[in-house]
Amino acid sequence: MATILVTDDAAFMRMQLKDILTKLGHEIVGEAENGRLAVEKSAELNPDLITMDITMPEMGGVEAVREIKKHNPDAKIIMCSAMGQQGMVLEAIQAGAKDFIVKPFTAERIEEAVTKVL
Amino acid sequence: MNQYTAVFLDESREHLQAVNDHILKLEKEPHELALIEEIFRSAHTLKGMAATMEFADIASLTHQMENVLDSIRRGQLAVSTEIIDSLFLATEALEEMVEAIGAGQDGKKDVTALVGRLEQLEAGEDGPGASQSDGEQEQPALDELQTAMAAEAEKEGFFPYQITVTLSDDCVMKPVRAYMVSQAAGELGELIKTVPAAEELEAGTFDASFILFLLSQATVEEIHDAVSGVSEVMQVEVIPLKLTDKAANEENSQEETAATQVEEEAPAGQSATRKSKTIRVSLERIDDLMNLFEELVIDRSRLEELARLSGNNDLEETVEHVSRVSSEMQEIILQMRMMPVEQVFNRFPRMVRGLARELEKEIELDIAGAETEMDRTVIEEVGDPLVHLIRNSVDHGIEAPAERLQAGKPEKGKLSLRAYHSGNHVMIEIEDDGAGINRNKVESKAVENGLITTEQAQDLADEDVYKLLFSAGFSTADEVSDISGRGVGLDVVRNKIESLGGIISVASAPGKGSKFSIQLPLTLSILSALLVKVRDETYAVPLTSIVETILLEEASIMDVHGRKMMDYRDTVIPLVALREVFDVPGSSPEQKSQPVVVVQKGEKRTGLVVDSFIGQQEVVLKSLGSYLGDVFAISGATILGDGQVALIIDANALMN
Amino acid sequence: MEGISKYIVFQMNHQTYGADVRQILSIEKVQEITEVPRTAGFIKGVINLRGDTTPIIDLKERFRLGKLEQTEATRILIVHIADIRVGLMVDSATDVIDVDAELIEQAPEIIGGIRDTFIKGVAKQEDGLLILLNLEAVLDLNETNELRKFTKEQQTGGQDSGNDIGNR
Repeated sequence: MATILVTDDAAFMRMQLKDILTKLGHEIVGEAENGRLAVEKSAELNPDLITMDITMPEMGGVEAVREIKKHNPDAKIIMCSAMGQQGMVLEAIQAGAKDFIVKPFTAERIEEAVTKVL
Repeated sequence: MNQYTAVFLDESREHLQAVNDHILKLEKEPHELALIEEIFRSAHTLKGMAATMEFADIASLTHQMENVLDSIRRGQLAVSTEIIDSLFLATEALEEMVEAIGAGQDGKKDVTALVGRLEQLEAGEDGPGASQSDGEQEQPALDELQTAMAAEAEKEGFFPYQITVTLSDDCVMKPVRAYMVSQAAGELGELIKTVPAAEELEAGTFDASFILFLLSQATVEEIHDAVSGVSEVMQVEVIPLKLTDKAANEENSQEETAATQVEEEAPAGQSATRKSKTIRVSLERIDDLMNLFEELVIDRSRLEELARLSGNNDLEETVEHVSRVSSEMQEIILQMRMMPVEQVFNRFPRMVRGLARELEKEIELDIAGAETEMDRTVIEEVGDPLVHLIRNSVDHGIEAPAERLQAGKPEKGKLSLRAYHSGNHVMIEIEDDGAGINRNKVESKAVENGLITTEQAQDLADEDVYKLLFSAGFSTADEVSDISGRGVGLDVVRNKIESLGGIISVASAPGKGSKFSIQLPLTLSILSALLVKVRDETYAVPLTSIVETILLEEASIMDVHGRKMMDYRDTVIPLVALREVFDVPGSSPEQKSQPVVVVQKGEKRTGLVVDSFIGQQEVVLKSLGSYLGDVFAISGATILGDGQVALIIDANALMN
Repeated sequence: MEGISKYIVFQMNHQTYGADVRQILSIEKVQEITEVPRTAGFIKGVINLRGDTTPIIDLKERFRLGKLEQTEATRILIVHIADIRVGLMVDSATDVIDVDAELIEQAPEIIGGIRDTFIKGVAKQEDGLLILLNLEAVLDLNETNELRKFTKEQQTGGQDSGNDIGNR
């Protein structure tokens, strides 16, 4: 079981991720609706894992990864991307994200990503 | 509808609205890339949600929108009217699909034409996309240089490995995976070659597998584990290579595997979305709460009555407190049901733009007071009438540019949409600076339609002539255009507004423009009413339609051509005896003076004769049920403190 | 066949009728009815049924079997079909019985003065015929209009009409 911070600007997406991750036996310790909040909350909650949407208001996912990594190089981040965001996913990976999943999510894929990253 | 769908709908609508707003702004500021970003972000979120919910058509359309936006963002495409139009069309289609889903349908729609159009746009200035794979397959072996490098490394304990990686079938973003694999392998040593070449890996023009050549001190297992640690890697094969000893120089020919930085970082900070501390509550729950509260209001009346009858002071005080608290609760619950009219107003900018283009007019829409709140039931109902009025103004009100110039007005017409609170009401005004209502035209049309005679027409004041516009089947368009439609006149609008307990009026000045004003109640389900007794029955008259209650001396009732009339503030208004209109059973008491409720609708006033006034009370509007449907002059029923059902009078109907 | 179903047994003019228990929400004693002006004569008005207004139909008047005289025995069957809820006022309601579908027969065109549209079938009981009502049709206001047409036709002489109205 891991503690996870879920980041997405769409409540719908957070809800879905939460459901899947909870079913996989993890604990959602926080939710953030933009990159800035994710940075704040990751420092505050120090979760085992962070899921990070890419396009978000205030601060996008890639920048958030950079920020988080700056303060905590060991942070484990999985990007949640949609089709067609390859460039940004790559950027995020280069910035230190450990894995990425592509919407629409499947529980299997999320499980794989989480297991491999942890 | 499950909770996912509800949230999906909510957020989709919000994003579509945002897309809408931003496209409109983009049209004015085509070079504002921040707007593109905003639209992109919304389209993107929509796509993600739709794909998850398996609404494939929404997903594919938003995907193609994204592509176009992306091209604009990269400067490969310039914002043109055509692009704006296509984006609007796409947004409209998306709205349709989302609404269809909201209505419980599958949200499917043939979007191929739209997608095709967007693809064309995207391709138009974008040129052919990623370069085609030239098919040249390199042999999975090392060339001289690489062999030399390997040999050199071998001396330092680095051994060459050939790693064949196969990605899973459903792997998306293969290039990123390939990069991650390269990265994982690269951490264990030095990558000297990939097959296909790094460029092709970056472009994703390879099938499921690719090969890496790595110089590393790690063991086969270590390499295998590291590479398998990347998600969506189905199979990894690591083979140690034998080298033919060959000298070479140290030139580093290692391909830069990292893809070039493709895109700029997304949204530039200053997004418009500010979020206060709120939670989302489903409308259903608020409605449930409202229903429960309505029951409480009924019991409250009952309690008040019982307490009064009991004469028990403590009980009366307690009940009074309960009443006070529940009144406050009522305020809060009503507040929760309130939504900004923005919900309705939002669709108008695009509509006006579309209409103006269609009619080749230039119109600037000015919206004020979009944040004004009203009950969501009213909001849901008021949209159509407003659409109608706006179309009316665009079509009949505002003149063509040439005509405006001739009249000494700016080419661009102005249409203002305003909402504001006024007491217990919300006012919505639609004002244009067009030609105004042509009295003569209305007059002759009314005469033609037999609404009035020529003689009557001459005696009418301007306002009275304008009011004829709201009569059934009235349309002043010289030719029936697509926009105002045929046969559906302003009477439909009036009926709708009145059924909402509202009032509509119009003012106009020739050559200067016209203004339609709508007055709507803040809420519908709990209303203040005057309870009156008519023989054995109790009726509720909504306070909103009451001007005054008076006790009328029998002697001052006049008989005009067989109709009972009364003098009211220097005018003569008709009297309607409810016991007669409703044929109420029982007998009325003999009394010298008649209790009369003066009701008003627009400028029209009527005195409703009752037997007695009972008092003012908050009542909960209940429908009479679908079985009875519309009943003449009755807008619903309410349950009184003693459990009796009292009918609520629709005073408007009694004035016709 | 559907086997055995439960029916609520009630009376109008000493004839026994049955209504499928699955369509009946409850049976109520008569309470004060608020008249609704300008509605069909058989609509007696609305009552407050635990906080909701419910229209009340005089079933005898609906079937043109005369007017109901309210007594201690008068009952209101609260019918709920689709989104419609109405109370049917009858002389009395006495029993709930099992009726074997096998024993239900097609109703003759008009029985006890009621048109077959309103009747699902007839079940022979030891103490006489039980007329099983088709409540959907009773609640269908279009049928009401049809009914008006029908009675008009009868008044104008067409005694054998009725077939054209519907044969369920």
